Amino acid sequence: MMPKHKNKKSKTDSRNENIIVCRCQDITLAEIEDAIDQGMTHPEEIKRFLHVGMGPCQGRTCGRLIARLIAKKTGKPIHELRQTKPRPPLISVPIKSILQEKDEESV
Amino acid sequence: MKNLFDVIIIGGGIIGTSTGHYLSQKGQRVLLLEKDFLTAGSTGRCITGVRQQFSTSSTIQTAMESARLFRSMKEEFGFDVEWKSSGYLFLAHSDEMVSVFKKNIAIQKPFGLDVNFLTAEECKKIVPLLNIDGLIGGAWCASDGQANPFLVVRGFVQGIKKNRGEIRIGEEVVGIEIHKGHVHSVTTSAGNTYLSSKVLNAAGPWAKEVAGLAGIHIPIEPERHEALVTEGVEYMGIPMLVDYRADGGYFVQRVTGQFIGCFTPEPNVPGRNVDSTFKFLVEMSRRMVKLVPALKNVAVLRQWAGSYSMTPDGIPIIGETEVKGFYCCAGMCGHGFMLGPAMGKFMAQYITENTWPVPMDECLYGRTYGEKEMMA
Repeated sequence: MMPKHKNKKSKTDSRNENIIVCRCQDITLAEIEDAIDQGMTHPEEIKRFLHVGMGPCQGRTCGRLIARLIAKKTGKPIHELRQTKPRPPLISVPIKSILQEKDEESV
Repeated sequence: MKNLFDVIIIGGGIIGTSTGHYLSQKGQRVLLLEKDFLTAGSTGRCITGVRQQFSTSSTIQTAMESARLFRSMKEEFGFDVEWKSSGYLFLAHSDEMVSVFKKNIAIQKPFGLDVNFLTAEECKKIVPLLNIDGLIGGAWCASDGQANPFLVVRGFVQGIKKNRGEIRIGEEVVGIEIHKGHVHSVTTSAGNTYLSSKVLNAAGPWAKEVAGLAGIHIPIEPERHEALVTEGVEYMGIPMLVDYRADGGYFVQRVTGQFIGCFTPEPNVPGRNVDSTFKFLVEMSRRMVKLVPALKNVAVLRQWAGSYSMTPDGIPIIGETEVKGFYCCAGMCGHGFMLGPAMGKFMAQYITENTWPVPMDECLYGRTYGEKEMMA
C-alpha cells in the first residue's frame, strides 16, 4: 500500500531484502538497516521515514524488532532507546462506530 | 577552524533543512542543530497539504514558488516525495464566505494562479462524494497539492550532507553570544561552542525562546492543533476540503489512500501541549462524515497533535533582527510545510546577498502587525 523509500542501494545482505519486518507497510529488514546506516538511530525517526509502526498493528509486530536492530547496530543498550509514542485509538475503529458511541452518550 | 561555520541554523524542521539545503548549494558551510530529531516539531505533525491560495502578495508568491519546488523534487532529490497535485477546494456555505473567497481570487489571479470560483454543482463534479447540502460554491485550485514531509526533509538533508554541511542531532542551543551588537557564537547542551557571524532561528514553536537567548522578543505563540489519519482505501483523488464554518475542518486523501485531517479548535488551545483528546476523535469523525458521508465506513488508525506557531496577524516573521547576523524564519501559523521550501530558498538568498527574490514586506520582522485575515 505504502510506497517504498529506497534512496540508495542497501549495503547489507541481499537476503535481507526478502525479510519483511513491518507487515503493515511492507518494509524489509534491508530497508530498516539502510535507514539506520543513513544515521536514523532514533526509533521515532525511522517510524516517520518508513511509516513502520503507523499501520493497523501500531507497531506491535515491528516495534521491538526495530529497537533491537538499532541497539545491535549502534551498540546502545535497548533500554536506553526512547520508544515510539503510542497513539490512540489503540486499535483502528470505524468512524461509524465512533459516532454511534457519541449518540449513546447523548441519550 | 573546525567549529567555525558560515551559517548556523537552529531547528531541524522544514524551514531549517530547506534553508540549509539552499545555503549549502550556494557554497556556504552550514551547521544545523536539532535538539530532538529531524521533523520532531511541527513539520512531522502536519497534514501534508500544500496550497497557494493565500491573501497577501508575499505569501501567495512564496507559496507558488514552493509548489514549483515541490513539483521538481523528484528530479532534484532522485526519489519521489509523494507530491500530488490533488488540489484544494475551499467550501463556501454563506454569502460572506463567497465574498471572502472571490476577493482573494481577485488578489491571487494576477500572480498567475489557476484558481477559480465554482458553483456547488461544479464542486460536486470534482468531488462526487461531497455532500453539497447548503453549499453555495467553492474556491478551487487544481495545482495545490500534497507531499510527504518526512521525505521532503530527507531530500533537503541529503543536499546539506552532499555539500559538506553538518547536522548535529540531540544538541539543544542553550546560549547565543553577541559581541558589539553582532551575533558571535552559539553554545549547546552538549557543552560545544560553534562560531558563526550568521545564525538563523528556525525553531518553529520554540522560536520565541530561541530569540530570547539573543535578547530579542518575537511575538510567536504555539497553539495545539489535533489531527487524525484513517486506514488507506482505494485512492479516489479527494482534494483537500477546507470548511471554515464553526463546525468545519480540513482533510485530504493522501496518495496512500489514507484520509488525514484536522480542525481549528474554538477556543484556541495555547501552549506546546501535543496530547490527543477523545473529544477531537469524535468531533473530527462527525465533521468528516458531514462533508463526505461515505467516510463512515473507513476506520481511524491514529490521532496526534502538533503546534501551530501563531503570530499576531497570522503571517510568518522572517528577516534579520536588531542583533546583526541573527535571522528569524518562524511563525508559519500552520503553513510551515507548504511555505517551507520557498521560505528556505528566499532566506538563503537574503542571508547571502541581503535581497529578496520577491517583495516580502508583509512577512518582515519588525513590521506593524495588522488584523488577522481568513486565508492569510
